[in-house]
Amino acid sequence: MTTETAYPGDDPHRLLSNTRELAQRVRKEQRATWFPLLVFAALAFASIPVRRYSGHHLDCWAVPGGRICKVYSDADFVYWPIALVLAYVAIAAFYIRRSRARGVGTRVRPYTIAGIIVAVALTGVALWELHNPPAEQNPMGLTGLPYRLASPGAAIGLALLVLAWAERNRALLLLTLAYLAAVLVPITFGWVQHDPPWYSYPAVFQGSVLLLGGIGFALAQRPLRSPAP
Amino acid sequence: MTGHPANGLDDTVHQRVRLGILTIAHEARRVEFSYLRSNLELTAGNLSQHLGVLESAGLITIEKGYAGKRARTWVTLTKAGQAALAEEIAQLKLLISRIDGTGTPGN
Repeated sequence: MTTETAYPGDDPHRLLSNTRELAQRVRKEQRATWFPLLVFAALAFASIPVRRYSGHHLDCWAVPGGRICKVYSDADFVYWPIALVLAYVAIAAFYIRRSRARGVGTRVRPYTIAGIIVAVALTGVALWELHNPPAEQNPMGLTGLPYRLASPGAAIGLALLVLAWAERNRALLLLTLAYLAAVLVPITFGWVQHDPPWYSYPAVFQGSVLLLGGIGFALAQRPLRSPAP
Repeated sequence: MTGHPANGLDDTVHQRVRLGILTIAHEARRVEFSYLRSNLELTAGNLSQHLGVLESAGLITIEKGYAGKRARTWVTLTKAGQAALAEEIAQLKLLISRIDGTGTPGN
């Protein structure tokens, strides 16, 4: 190989397409989308026994047209902030270790910082909402959105949006938008069980989506093995 | 100087290998020497020469250190490097639109 001089006459089409291909290749090599998804799936599934076997509070009060009851677990307010912060620390450590091994640094800091900020902020909002419940019996429209947004599922979804941006990953963006839609769009059958079975917890659905997404990305992003000589 | 996009090309950046280095560095927070060498399929000496040109122009910074006992060289894109890369891409697109629009690059 020799030292190359400038290529003023090089085909600009080829230069530009080579540049794009190189950028795409580097982006693909940096992605490890499966790891955060599997970590969050694990958190969601681990939250099921935490919620099921911790004490619950049930407070009801009358509103025009009926009454509102809030059911909440103190353990949720302890489990999720700690679990989410630890998850982001683990994810950051994983990406840094992987970057060192591969020789190409990933911009994971914006994702980690955004994730921790969102987790702490939404926990604060959830605590505030505990003392400021909705005035309506069924806050299904935009008025109910902040109440659905202040949830661990939404915190994970919002942080995944930042990851999709950091990784410039359209597939993750689509998955996250679908996931957020499922978390934020209110679905009601007109009744609520005070003590639902564990398999009807939102965490089961959310964890399953994240798990399937994580497995899908792990398969798609697995390193290509060169054929044996 | 005319308004032809070819005149807006910077010789430091308008070079296949150096454009490749800037492109990879742009996608990463920082990139290691060995990663650049394998991805651009260069010898160590050849890559060092190109890195020297880019560092002299203030487009990258080079940091040497150790990871355990292994010596490592990390390359980071500077703000000037980001601007130069963006300018190069813009000029290439302009040049292509001229070529595709008129059929000859000189017109």
